[in-house]
Amino acid sequence: MALDVTNVVVEALPRFEGYVYPNESGTHPLWGFLIVLYPYITGLVAGAFIMASLVRVFRVKPLEPVYRLSLLTALAFMLCATLPLLFHLGHPERSFQIMITPHLTSPMAIFGFVYAWYLMAVLLLELWFDYREDFVVWSQKTSGIPGIIYRAFTLGVTDISEKAIALDLKLGWIISIVGIPSAFLLHGYVGFIFGSIKANPWWGNVLMPIIFILSAMVSGIALCVFNYMFLTWVRRRKLDMRCLDVMGMYLFYALVIDFTVEALDWIHRVYSAEEGFHVIEYMAKEKLFYTLSIGQVLVGTLIPLVLLGSLQIIRKYVSDAARKRIYFTCASCILVGVFAMRWNVVMGGQFFSKSLRGVMSYKLEFAGAEGWLMGLVLLSLPFIILTVMIKLFLSERLPTTGHVPHRVDDAVSEI
Amino acid sequence: MPPQVFRLILLTVAIVGSYVIARQLLTPPSFRQYGFYRGEALAEHASHTPVFAGRKACLECHEDIQKKLFKDAHKTIGCETCHGPSSAHCADPDSAAKKPDKKNTTACLRCHEANPSRPVTQKQINVKNHYSSQKCAECHMPHQPNEVP
Repeated sequence: MALDVTNVVVEALPRFEGYVYPNESGTHPLWGFLIVLYPYITGLVAGAFIMASLVRVFRVKPLEPVYRLSLLTALAFMLCATLPLLFHLGHPERSFQIMITPHLTSPMAIFGFVYAWYLMAVLLLELWFDYREDFVVWSQKTSGIPGIIYRAFTLGVTDISEKAIALDLKLGWIISIVGIPSAFLLHGYVGFIFGSIKANPWWGNVLMPIIFILSAMVSGIALCVFNYMFLTWVRRRKLDMRCLDVMGMYLFYALVIDFTVEALDWIHRVYSAEEGFHVIEYMAKEKLFYTLSIGQVLVGTLIPLVLLGSLQIIRKYVSDAARKRIYFTCASCILVGVFAMRWNVVMGGQFFSKSLRGVMSYKLEFAGAEGWLMGLVLLSLPFIILTVMIKLFLSERLPTTGHVPHRVDDAVSEI
Repeated sequence: MPPQVFRLILLTVAIVGSYVIARQLLTPPSFRQYGFYRGEALAEHASHTPVFAGRKACLECHEDIQKKLFKDAHKTIGCETCHGPSSAHCADPDSAAKKPDKKNTTACLRCHEANPSRPVTQKQINVKNHYSSQKCAECHMPHQPNEVP
């Protein structure tokens, strides 16, 4: 039966166009859908952390309602950031060996160190110092499994004197400052991995790490807007419009810078028109038209840019309800657009022949290790983890000490 | 030292210690025996049952076909290149389920699908326009490609 349809399949989907080396014409790309998810999830982590840093380091007070949500979002996605890579290896029984025997000349092994640094030395520490006082209070008031969890997270330290809390705030502030370059390093490194592949004109670009960092900021802030609006809607609470407007403002600024640098990248590619330019031009116009021109540029950039930009000028004339819809639409569009950008980078770099004179075809499968069903599962996982974290650490039923980052100044002066 | 800092240092020592112990326990014993990989992996690969039987095995029963093949354009191509791995068939020649595929269109296309990067002397077809509803072997004789059936 499979043989009967062979010719039909070949006819329905030409495997290549133009001049493609024989060994390239019939093979699937080495990196599939899971590798698209890897930079996407990592970018969301870095962006959500930068969002939290706006509050703690840059003291943007209106964003305080989303501070903890942003950090928990970063942690939930961070816990799943390496799963697409480990799943892609295809050997779950020995994939852990990359962590046991890392090769110091392997870019992916070095990412393990960057990941471990960011998770253990930045994110978890900042969260712990921020939550420590609450853990102590909650552990005394809560029983059952949540109580055990809170008690475990106190690490046995129950000192919540003013001096101890002031030290927590100071250390959290220092970690947050270290965290900003670390977040840039985390996602800039992902861009570096692609940008350093100099044999591929689609990837080999010094701007790649910067583009990755900026798009990460955009996607992370958009995710925080999305999560905040969704959580408020689920809880049937009133949105803090001041917070939402400021998030929208920072989303707009980040998008402007991201758009400018990506446009600069394209202007440079067009003007320098190096030997691989013809195939890149063909890719943009034909092969990646829907994901690049429609998904990344129109939906992910231009529509949010116009909507958010307009709001910066005429915000006071737009009703709260309309602004909410616009922010939600923009956040959703940006999340789709940045995903399209990751697709374009990862898959786009594998769609053209090393001859630079032909392109290959790829059909995303439904099932299988690299199918979109698996991708959907992996992308749903951080949201499930985040839901559990919100239940445990952002519960409305638990009193929070509500120590906010603007107290850092006082804390620092007290010590 | 503040208690929270002390506990964090203890926790860090515990995590790093756990990693070192885990590394000792989980690193395969033959790792670095020859290089940055498990030395045992070589023996493991060598112990796998081969799925390809080799041309000599085919020759034992199909000498008549081989004689025709050796006179024509496909003489340098191994049997299993088109028919697929055949060691299971060699071990149990009577089993119909283990017999190699006789009309494998994909195998023909691997070399004869039109591609400008192939040598011009290699015969090529455009699958879309070349009797796409039929199998190659209905019109061509793979063992004697220059002959007409």
